[in-house]
Amino acid sequence: MNNMEKILEVKKLKISFRTNNGTVKAVRDISFDLHKGETLAIVGESGSGKSVTSKAILGILAGNSIIDGGEILFDGKDLLKISEEEMYKIRGDKIAMIFQDPLSSLNPIVKIGKQMTEGMILKNKDNRKNARKDFNTKLAILSENIIEAIGEDKREEVESICKKFDDFNIQAIKFEESFNYSETQAVELVGQIKDFTFRVSRKQTIDAKAALKQFSAKLKKIVDPFFTRNHLSDIETMISKLEKERASLPRGEIKVESHTTDLLNEIIALIERLESHTKPNFFRIGFYALEHPNEDIFNRPIGEFNELTLNYLNENFMNSFLDNVEKGLKNAYEKTNEEKVNVLNSLKKFTDFFKENAFTFKEANERIDQFEELLNKSINRLETTKDSISYTFILTVRANVKDYFANIKENIKDQRRFDKETRKYNKIIEKGKTPDYKVVPLKYTDPKNQIENIESTAKRLEARYNELLSRKLDYSKLAVELIDYFKGAASSAVYKITQGLAKEKAIKLMEEVGIPEPRIRYSQYPFEFSGGMRQRIVIAIALSANPDILICDEPTTALDVTIQSQILELINDLKKQRNLSVIFITHDLGVVANMADRVAVMYAGKIVEFGTSNEIFYSPAHPYTWALLSSMPDLETKEKLEAIPGTPPNMIYPPVGDAFAVRNKYALKIDFEEEPPLFKITDTHYAATWLLHKDAPKVEIPKSIRDRIERMKKHQGGNLNG
Amino acid sequence: MANVNDKDVLLSVRHLCQYFKMGRRRELKAVDDVSFDIHRGEVFGLVGESGCGKTTTGRSIIKLYDITSGDVFFKGQRIGAGIRSYTSAIKEAKNAYKAKAKELNELVKQDPNKASEVQASLEEEKAKLEAIIVENKKKIEEAKFDQIHCDHEFSKRLQAEVEEKYAPLLADALAKEDNDLYNKVKKDYKNELRIAKNSKLVTQIQMIFQDPIASLNPRMTVQEIIAEGLIIKGIKDKEYIQEQVYNILETVGLVKEHATRYPHEFSGGQRQRIGIARSVIMNPDMIIADEPVSALDVSIQAQVVNLLNELRNKMGLTVLFIAHDLSVVKYFSDRIGVMYYGKMVELASSDELFAHPCHPYTRSLLSAIPLPDPEYEKKRVRMVYNPIAEHDYSVNKPTLREIAKDHFVYCNDEEEKRYKNEFLK
Repeated sequence: MNNMEKILEVKKLKISFRTNNGTVKAVRDISFDLHKGETLAIVGESGSGKSVTSKAILGILAGNSIIDGGEILFDGKDLLKISEEEMYKIRGDKIAMIFQDPLSSLNPIVKIGKQMTEGMILKNKDNRKNARKDFNTKLAILSENIIEAIGEDKREEVESICKKFDDFNIQAIKFEESFNYSETQAVELVGQIKDFTFRVSRKQTIDAKAALKQFSAKLKKIVDPFFTRNHLSDIETMISKLEKERASLPRGEIKVESHTTDLLNEIIALIERLESHTKPNFFRIGFYALEHPNEDIFNRPIGEFNELTLNYLNENFMNSFLDNVEKGLKNAYEKTNEEKVNVLNSLKKFTDFFKENAFTFKEANERIDQFEELLNKSINRLETTKDSISYTFILTVRANVKDYFANIKENIKDQRRFDKETRKYNKIIEKGKTPDYKVVPLKYTDPKNQIENIESTAKRLEARYNELLSRKLDYSKLAVELIDYFKGAASSAVYKITQGLAKEKAIKLMEEVGIPEPRIRYSQYPFEFSGGMRQRIVIAIALSANPDILICDEPTTALDVTIQSQILELINDLKKQRNLSVIFITHDLGVVANMADRVAVMYAGKIVEFGTSNEIFYSPAHPYTWALLSSMPDLETKEKLEAIPGTPPNMIYPPVGDAFAVRNKYALKIDFEEEPPLFKITDTHYAATWLLHKDAPKVEIPKSIRDRIERMKKHQGGNLNG
Repeated sequence: MANVNDKDVLLSVRHLCQYFKMGRRRELKAVDDVSFDIHRGEVFGLVGESGCGKTTTGRSIIKLYDITSGDVFFKGQRIGAGIRSYTSAIKEAKNAYKAKAKELNELVKQDPNKASEVQASLEEEKAKLEAIIVENKKKIEEAKFDQIHCDHEFSKRLQAEVEEKYAPLLADALAKEDNDLYNKVKKDYKNELRIAKNSKLVTQIQMIFQDPIASLNPRMTVQEIIAEGLIIKGIKDKEYIQEQVYNILETVGLVKEHATRYPHEFSGGQRQRIGIARSVIMNPDMIIADEPVSALDVSIQAQVVNLLNELRNKMGLTVLFIAHDLSVVKYFSDRIGVMYYGKMVELASSDELFAHPCHPYTRSLLSAIPLPDPEYEKKRVRMVYNPIAEHDYSVNKPTLREIAKDHFVYCNDEEEKRYKNEFLK
């Protein structure tokens, strides 16, 4: 588990809400990681802070929220500190959310189709721009590194090689762009024809003449030699046939006859034939075309040509280029590793500066600027995945320093207020009256907290750098990865989504999530959908931008079993297909057992138990988890359900000690006095209860749960190691 | 209708149909020919996916809709009746007559000699038709009368009972020539008579709604919400009402102080308790609980289910429990009916249903229940129910048939044989 790639890290997150009655502490210091391709379930009663956590990740907390501290690290950014503009690029694109109530998360006056395609088109524009920029900067850094590795005297040679790489990539991009254009036109055309035949099948009258004109115009746009291959003449005959058909039709709205639809079906068949061709590998062909500018490359059979160009590329360019890239990468890693050692050496001094003596804002900023320079050198910009901790270090420190001074200022101001009010109060007493109010006591926030935060972030950086320094690298593998990254960036730079293509994509997505007759549904309003269908639409919208992380906030609570089961299967399938990481928030433990790889049980803004799903269900340790499990009937429960007495605590006055102690029949005396730390049970299983302390009395798991676990083990024939 | 007069049966639903108009011609058959009995003191669970007509069934029983066809008997008295089956019977008879007349006329055209003979048989047919029409029209009138006047009939009966009870008391008081006693007795008598006049049979069935937020009036205090039923019933004694409200609050696990608060001040579980208190204060014989726990958290769900269980034991309630969470239904119900698209497809005691599900839809429903057991969940395969592939009803039409004792399945002859064989194994 530990060696899996961490995609999202939440560290010591604290969130509260200002209300008229006081500050509600909704989330109190929680930390968890999300690995790539896993499902993390967060379980708890309403008001335990599950939804608040997920909203904080997306940056959509309500206006009266205060983030008291903590970090959410994702893709080299701290999501709590970045600007709204940057957040906008992440929200929906990288992290998507399925909301609890599908009706209130859809816009009632915008058609479903519009709502589904909106995100795709918006995000596509942004992606194209970024991909191009990324490609250029990375290539520049790479070339610098190669030059450093093999010597300044070969600068021109290296530059020419890199130029060549860039050139043939541009060539490839050109091919791909033209191919994509034709492909898009084809997809759009098929979509339009399908819309047309769909309307015909519903016995509507259509202005067929105008429609056919549109079709033939679209058909004329499919000209890319790679896409049409040797079917160009077929397309031309098809166009002439269409024109003939169009001439024979009367003007205005008519009932469409079968010969027209037959012809349209022929077009669809033709386009399907075109689409069934193997896609040319533009990356290779680009290079070949650059070397043989006069050769007719379009009429070669694609399969063979792909092979040929692969060999050609490897022999003439890629092998030597890969060597160079390897050298460059090695140089980059070695260089940054040296810098990392430097950073580690000066890190202590850096934190000591904050710890030991008083400092002014200016001094602190100078210090940070200095260190930033050092740190930036130590970050390897050629890595394809960004290391969140080193990227966000400076930002976190800056924010903490700012808070430090703000706190000092605030404390002085509060002291003044307090003094003034006390004077007034005393005056009244001196006069012999009893005042009808009390002086609000001092709100002293210790600025030392911020210094401690800086220290802990520094410690994390230290640990991460030590880890990075100690690992062994396979440069040839990394080089191939880098080249693939370039390829991906190049092709996403020209991947353009038009309105029509987005529609077809949306319809495909709707089919994928199991909505029948997507062509009608596409142009309907949300109120025309039933609950289950609406939820599917919300899922489809969340998936439309192809996110890395999917947050599901009770997606099935309002649905019945069969639909719930379908939706869960759908999310599971999509997760496997797209290697999604899922955060699944729910209070239904049955659903958790179905979905989760790991489970975090939350109560009163804290994680009280954390473990793999087998550990939570077969050997639960926290009394709250026991209570949750026993309050839910399964198919064999006969005895009275053990409901949890009382209600969750009022989070304006968070309880001292263990928050669950009041409702807990196993509570010890210490539970009311001191907060339990997270006790480690196994490497993956932690629980915050004093019962696990070595001096605590032995408490058995309640009988009803023990019985149930026995039953479950029996069902599986006893081969269980939970 | 043999069971209707059975004392054990509290509510009996016979061939209940509830259609809704969709546009000019089309009709949505929300509930289509559903029959079941609910015995006194039992919990009858109704499950099915959303849109299958569970809630509509509940609402039709409590007369929130005018039912299209079929009968609902409560305590042996018909409280709801639809007329569609009778009107369609008339229509059918008329059509049959027309077809017959056409046939006979053809005969006359071919062979004019038979005219008198044909005339005789035609008249015979007409007489038959008229008999059918008269009979069905009478039924329609009865149904309409019962539909509108069932409460009236009930209150008449109650009034008679009250009069019977007080007649000797009044006479006694008169004979004693005690003016005070007489006035007191007379006051009581008038009070009870008024209550009897206002009481309705249908109020003995109460409903708990799904959404505890939407079903409570935000502008009324808890006291007003709970006491509303009593006030409508005609009780004017404020102290009595207050006492009742306090009692009932205690029963459902709230405290006196809650009475003066407004619904928004409560948590979801407490709101649902208020909803339960509102229905229980009318001292009903039967409660229709329409997904009372679906909108609640797990821990609160357990509290509410426990409360319903307690009330049921204490007050001897009969419950029609509508839900889609099968684990809860299994835990709470004695018998379960499974509905699919307006039809009752399987009906059995809850243990029996979960042990031997027969109908493919029930099986698919059971296979979709998630359990808190990760290893089981990894292996669980959901069965998909596809009615077109599963059944061939082109020749032999299905009905609800008894497969084993008290186990009914919606099937045709061939399937009945198959299910029975499965049981023998």
